[in-house]
Amino acid sequence: MNGLLQDFRYAVRQLRKSPGFAAVAIITLALGIGANTAIFSLLDQALLRSLPVKDVDRLVILNYSGSNTGRLQSRADGHFYFSYPMYRDLHDRNSVFSGMIATDFTQVGVQWHNQPDLVGAELVSGNYFDVLGLQPAAGRLFVTADDVVADANPVVVLSFSYWQRRFGSDPGILNQSVLVNGHPFTVVGVAPPGFHSVVMGDTPDVFVPMMMKAEVIPGSMDLEDRRSSWLNIVGKLKPGLSREQAEAGVGPLWSAIRSDELKEIKGGSENFRDRFVNKSQLFVLDGARGFSPLRSDVQMPLLIVMGMVGLVALMACANVGSLLLVRGAGRIREMSVRYALGAKQKRVIQQLLVEGLLLGLAGGLFGMLLAPRVSSVLITMIWGGGTGDLPFSAKPDLRIMLFNCGLALLASLLFSLAPALQFWRPDLAPALKQQGMTARSGPLRFRRISVAVQIGLSLVLLVGAGLFVRTLHNLRSVNAGFATDHLLTFGVDPRMAGYEPDRTFALYQRMFETLRGLPGVRAVAATNDPELANDNETGNVTISGYADKPDENMQVEQPNVSVDYFSTMQMPLLAGRVFTDQDSAGSQKVAIVNESFARHYFGDPQQALGHFVANGGGKGVKPDIVIVGVVKDAKHVSLREPVTRTVFFPYLQSPELHAMTFYVRTWQQPESAESTIRRAMQTLDANLVLDTFRTMDEQIDNNLTAERVIALLASGFGVLAALMAAVGLYGVLAYSTTQRTSEIGIRMALGATRGSVVRMVMFEVLWLAGISIAIALPVSLLLMSAVRSQLYGISSSDPLTLGLTIVVVTLVAIASAMLPARRASRVEPMKALRYE
Amino acid sequence: MIESARSEATKIEAGQPLIQISDLTKVFYTDEIETHALSGIHLSIAKGEYVAMSGPSGCGKSTLLSIIGLLDTPTAGRYSLNGKTVENLDFAERSRIRNQEIGFIFQSFNLIGDLTVYENVELPLTYRQRMPAADRKARVMEALERVGMAHRVRHYPSQLSGGQQQRVAVARALGGKPSILLADEPTGNLDSRNGEAVMELLQELHREGATICMVTHDPRFAKHAQREVHLFDGKVVAEEELKKLLAETSA
Ligand SMILES: Nc1ncnc2c1ncn2[C@@H]1O[C@H](COP(=O)(O)OP(=O)(O)O)[C@@H](O)[C@H]1O
Ligand SMILES: [Mg+2]
Repeated sequence: MNGLLQDFRYAVRQLRKSPGFAAVAIITLALGIGANTAIFSLLDQALLRSLPVKDVDRLVILNYSGSNTGRLQSRADGHFYFSYPMYRDLHDRNSVFSGMIATDFTQVGVQWHNQPDLVGAELVSGNYFDVLGLQPAAGRLFVTADDVVADANPVVVLSFSYWQRRFGSDPGILNQSVLVNGHPFTVVGVAPPGFHSVVMGDTPDVFVPMMMKAEVIPGSMDLEDRRSSWLNIVGKLKPGLSREQAEAGVGPLWSAIRSDELKEIKGGSENFRDRFVNKSQLFVLDGARGFSPLRSDVQMPLLIVMGMVGLVALMACANVGSLLLVRGAGRIREMSVRYALGAKQKRVIQQLLVEGLLLGLAGGLFGMLLAPRVSSVLITMIWGGGTGDLPFSAKPDLRIMLFNCGLALLASLLFSLAPALQFWRPDLAPALKQQGMTARSGPLRFRRISVAVQIGLSLVLLVGAGLFVRTLHNLRSVNAGFATDHLLTFGVDPRMAGYEPDRTFALYQRMFETLRGLPGVRAVAATNDPELANDNETGNVTISGYADKPDENMQVEQPNVSVDYFSTMQMPLLAGRVFTDQDSAGSQKVAIVNESFARHYFGDPQQALGHFVANGGGKGVKPDIVIVGVVKDAKHVSLREPVTRTVFFPYLQSPELHAMTFYVRTWQQPESAESTIRRAMQTLDANLVLDTFRTMDEQIDNNLTAERVIALLASGFGVLAALMAAVGLYGVLAYSTTQRTSEIGIRMALGATRGSVVRMVMFEVLWLAGISIAIALPVSLLLMSAVRSQLYGISSSDPLTLGLTIVVVTLVAIASAMLPARRASRVEPMKALRYE
Repeated sequence: MIESARSEATKIEAGQPLIQISDLTKVFYTDEIETHALSGIHLSIAKGEYVAMSGPSGCGKSTLLSIIGLLDTPTAGRYSLNGKTVENLDFAERSRIRNQEIGFIFQSFNLIGDLTVYENVELPLTYRQRMPAADRKARVMEALERVGMAHRVRHYPSQLSGGQQQRVAVARALGGKPSILLADEPTGNLDSRNGEAVMELLQELHREGATICMVTHDPRFAKHAQREVHLFDGKVVAEEELKKLLAETSA
């Protein structure tokens, strides 16, 4: 024990004696541990952690297969959504679930003390909190009775953090009234702390009963519409029932529900009927971790980032390992003396282990300090800019942190043991006898392998960086189909300020006039379906004279836009005309389609003109809207998604008015127009809640967050990896050339020129680099093809990127060899050969 | 090999100086200390001569030998090798001449541990441009046979005795067919029996026509040479003078 303490003190002294070594080792370990912990903590929250609710194992998510022909509102995540009647049927008539909740997320204007506030809202069925087994932090949570009759119970539950943030945790807010979208709602309670939503990643500030949908999502009259799918269902299995049993048990009910729905679809072939009812299946999926559109969004990016971090951590280990190995080799003499003085093997090894332990501990400590910072940087990078709570916490998970520290400790202990093995059976005679006569390079092999691993890993990371950076670049340079520069956008929903539909139209007219009159504004337009906003809302169309093939997908985008939309967005007209002021409520209904639409249904833009269309499908629909123009295709959902077929309607002819997104084309920098616009709108109506202002470029950037984060991290990690590999390579070469000084002297005495010595060192480097590249290349090809889906406009085996990366890695290798090679070539043969 | 060495050697008539050194000085500067290792050396070595250099430790023998071998440059003075002025050549040119004209034999053998006997002997030849591999092989084997080590081509230096290692080193020096063999205390690390053997080898080479300049402080070995050069304190001195000086210093 006494010896251990002594060893400990000695180890501290040793590390302080070589601060450079200690610093590099500790920093490397800290980076590895910090980054790893941060990423794993996020990954754990996003992908692995369970919801903080009762009986979480029994929660399931419902999903189904089969076509969907009605109105579908989704978050572009490929998940199928349900209509409210579907939910009600499933809820009332099933025998396998002990509870079943419906949920939808939206934004609402909350006004309190004349202060409007745009917040996230979760529209939930009355049994929501009950099924999840949650207890209120204050007041009460919803009960079933809150959610029975449409528009009857204007009550709201606050999220715990909104209650803290907005109301200072004042219990006095209970039973008071706030305005939600202009309608008075009573605050009945506060949700428990730590609970966000059953939907992972959503952070609603308020919860509202589903029956209040018309108030919460103004203009929506589809609660009873079987063919409008918009909500998600989370079920709770009856105790003891498996998901498979539940799936089987609910099957007949599902078929019945589909049959009911089919009755409302007029028309459709036999084949279609068969597929609609019989081929459709209801799935019961594991819901313990919550339903999460976010999860599918971030899963791949996070996994990629985690992979990169893993590689970097591996490199850190290799790096620290090789550092410890040099140190060990440099201390052969010291160890030999210890042995000569009668030290036991155990003591010598113990001493090395204590040093490794010390390094690991220091690295772990700094890593722990680093982890939350890395997390919060990542979180704000990915989710920053939104309103309300961030969905994830930057607090690193203790278990993950401990695990990583343990790993780092193990690695540093292991590597500090490696040199100890060199002294396991000390055989000192040869080293002494042959002093100056031979320079054998045994321990170098360890270091060469470690450097080869580092070069290989940096190649993998750099290939990733190259592909992701080019993906980002490709996406950025995708032609959106409309001019994205000098374009400011913001959303407004007049009903949040209590406007009735009849007054909304006049408000929009006034807004257009006011905005057009502002200095620096070139043009103004609006749509109810924002561009490049990563959401899509499609609906069926019927086209007169077009015989749709059985089961043909007739879903198209159907935005309602203002008159100047195409000129403001600069979407070129291909045929016919654009909308004019004459296309008003009373006149002939008109539509403009995009090129894809025209080509798909009519073969040619010119051919589309004069045809009639209608929204909705089925037998009863009479197409009465005439196509008057065709515009060029533009990207709509996102830059990545292909162009969708689109019918634009003039919003003046729209039967119901929706929240609109405004586009203001400016002369100057679009950002500078925000304050002017806000002031002008304030003057127009102080109660108007304007959604976040963004330039279209920001919007696109926002759209590309995942890609940006990956590209940024991949480049960062790639550069870090290349640096580490360079340092490692430099270390090995510096060490090996020093070891070979006398050999180099001999060679020079025998006529080697400086050039040939440089070539000798370079050959060693290129040989090492060549082998590592040869091994790493197929590995990175494999890894990259696994993340193919995240790439855009570039193959996972893009030869240019691969070639360039190989060149870069080789150049890095050569650069790090330069100094040792130079030093080797400066060896004075006389000095190298001198012996006393 | 012996034949060709002789024919090359006879290109210059016997007796004509192969090495001509005049007024050569060498000063080392280390940490503000000037060491005058050589001061005003005059020396000429004729083709085919066997010269032994002796003197007390630190008198500058190794320094002189390494200047002769173009491992080092003089601080001042003139040096011509084979009729060519060589004291001011650049590093690359010196490397070339070293490779072609000089054969080194070191006290500590200085074989490269990672290379086999064969590769060690081949090494200087690999630094020559455009030497066909077959010629190279022939030369290596010829040299190894000459020193009686042809049966050990695949061995590594650590697998040989000291005497054997030094014979390999001699073979390495011979392989390049140099104008002169420079040996710095070649027996210093050998026991007397192995030392004698190496001395005999050198004498045989001399008889076959090789020019040799050997540093030794062993008078027995110095007697093998045709001529003895005595160094004292960086100067060439006559034998009687050396004795006198040595007597003075020991007194
Ligand atoms: N590279 C050097 N730097 C400084 N001093 C040197 C160097 N080489 C030799 N000397 C000095 O020059 C003198 C002659 O050395 P050397 O030629 O090795 O003597 P020796 O006759 O024993 O071979 C000695 O005093 C030695 O210390
Ligand atoms: Mg000497």
